[in-house]
Amino acid sequence: MAVLHGPRRERAIDLLFLLPIMVILVGFLLYPLGYGIVLSLHDTRGFDLTGFVGLDHYAHAILGDAVFHRSLLNTFLFTAAAVVLLPGVGLFLAVLVAEVKRGRTFLRLVFFAPFVLAPVAVGEVWKFLYAPFFGIVPTVGSALGFHTLTIAPLADAGTALWAIMIAFVWRFAGFNMVVYLAAIQALPREYYEYAVLEGAGRFQRFRRITWPLLWPHTFTLVLLTTLGTLRIFDMVWVMTEGGPSHATETVGTYIYVTAFRFLQVGYAQAMAMILLLLILLLAAVEYRFFDRRATLVSS
Amino acid sequence: MTRLPRLRWSTVLLGALAVVWLYPVAWTLANAIRPSADIYRAPWDLPWPPAIGNIGEAWSRGRLGAALANSAYVTAMTVAITLVVSVCGAYSLTRLRPPGRALLFLLVLAPLIIPTDVLIVPLFSMFRAAGLIDSLPGLALFNVMANVSFATLILTGYFRTIPQDVVDAARVDGAGRIEVLLRIVVPLARPGILAVAVLVTVFTWNDFGGSLVLIQKPDAFPVQLALSRFTTFFATDQGLTFAGMAIALLPPLLLFLVLQRSFIQGLTAGAVRR
Repeated sequence: MAVLHGPRRERAIDLLFLLPIMVILVGFLLYPLGYGIVLSLHDTRGFDLTGFVGLDHYAHAILGDAVFHRSLLNTFLFTAAAVVLLPGVGLFLAVLVAEVKRGRTFLRLVFFAPFVLAPVAVGEVWKFLYAPFFGIVPTVGSALGFHTLTIAPLADAGTALWAIMIAFVWRFAGFNMVVYLAAIQALPREYYEYAVLEGAGRFQRFRRITWPLLWPHTFTLVLLTTLGTLRIFDMVWVMTEGGPSHATETVGTYIYVTAFRFLQVGYAQAMAMILLLLILLLAAVEYRFFDRRATLVSS
Repeated sequence: MTRLPRLRWSTVLLGALAVVWLYPVAWTLANAIRPSADIYRAPWDLPWPPAIGNIGEAWSRGRLGAALANSAYVTAMTVAITLVVSVCGAYSLTRLRPPGRALLFLLVLAPLIIPTDVLIVPLFSMFRAAGLIDSLPGLALFNVMANVSFATLILTGYFRTIPQDVVDAARVDGAGRIEVLLRIVVPLARPGILAVAVLVTVFTWNDFGGSLVLIQKPDAFPVQLALSRFTTFFATDQGLTFAGMAIALLPPLLLFLVLQRSFIQGLTAGAVRR
């Protein structure tokens, strides 16, 4: 005898198809999230909980840890630069490539290819490009007659973070370009034809037509860049491990070091929860801001 | 009279930028087959005759061959599980009527703003308790978790383009849910499924954070982890290091060159339809 009959039974069977993904999300998202909150409120020995300490870890991170502050600042600066540069360079490339008559597929391929490469491989390649004696800066500089053989951008605390940024732009600008390019090619041609008839120049056409109509895509890309960059770990870890002297320390690398090198597991998780709160907060702020701008543009 | 095509400044600029974009990969591939001494002495010469020995040495002495096999195993398992789970999930969310559908959809999207990176400590703890450290199936499970949300999101986009009428008509004719899924939905959404498979393959192949934390035994290293150790270990032998980097760069690059259209379609669909 069946427990459920008719439509309720039907809908329960519909739900069964969602069961696998729900099991994964509960097991690998909700449970670790809950356990992570518990961890962040405890002292730990190895990975075992010892004593409950309340919000002490949070207080120490926010008030007393200069390295954490430095990693927050670096992460913010890096994300702020990425949010402007990735969609910015991507849009610049997309506008140029959209005008090309022949070879558009080839150019799209060239600019997008770095996106499919592994962050470790990209990080290693750029680490060598930045190496003294045989890297790009020394060889090109010497070829032009400058004394640049010993310059090593990643070893200099003043330049290291921005040297990583260049590799980051190289890797991700193509993804932004591809999204913009697809959108530009879907824009109605009549707008541009009409604007040309009205005597609008190249810049005006971009400013009055392309830019406002691409606004939803800009929003998506800014949000994706924010979410992807605030958590940055892999490329930084491969290129500098956060050094020299914390100049490229991000929240991601500091969490990793604290948890897996110093084994301060509860403290590391408290910092991870702070990072999660920042991610949610920034995503919400951007959402509100862009929502308002989008309504303004469309009205 | 024929005129030469005018060279516009934008074409020149694009050409220059393309060279800049190609340079790092071309440089790596060239140095991989350049004798170590020439990397310092003659960085601008063509790598000829090619020093193929570096590649073979990286493969065996650097154990990159074994690491490639580990990566292939983890990637295949991840793609298979992710596809089954996300196809079923997206099917239920778009073409069936499970109770609480809107709320369940939100839960499916949650990992897009809650990255696995902030859960890596509790996840490590769980994996350790379950004896899944150094386990390749364990690493595959981690990658399924990291990919299943965006895979489902992209698939719901493709599944929504399949008319509900077609699905309903088949159901009235007596086809079961699984029959509809396999006979109608999957064949019609094949481009989307291929795109998701390619994306998950590349993302899993390229994963570093997960394997750095979950794999400690060198025998179980996937290729990214092996490469990061390799370049430290052989740092003084530039030729060997570049050969290792070339081996790690090529598989996703070749896959992309072959399947670039479905790769880009899947990504733009996912990014634009959010």
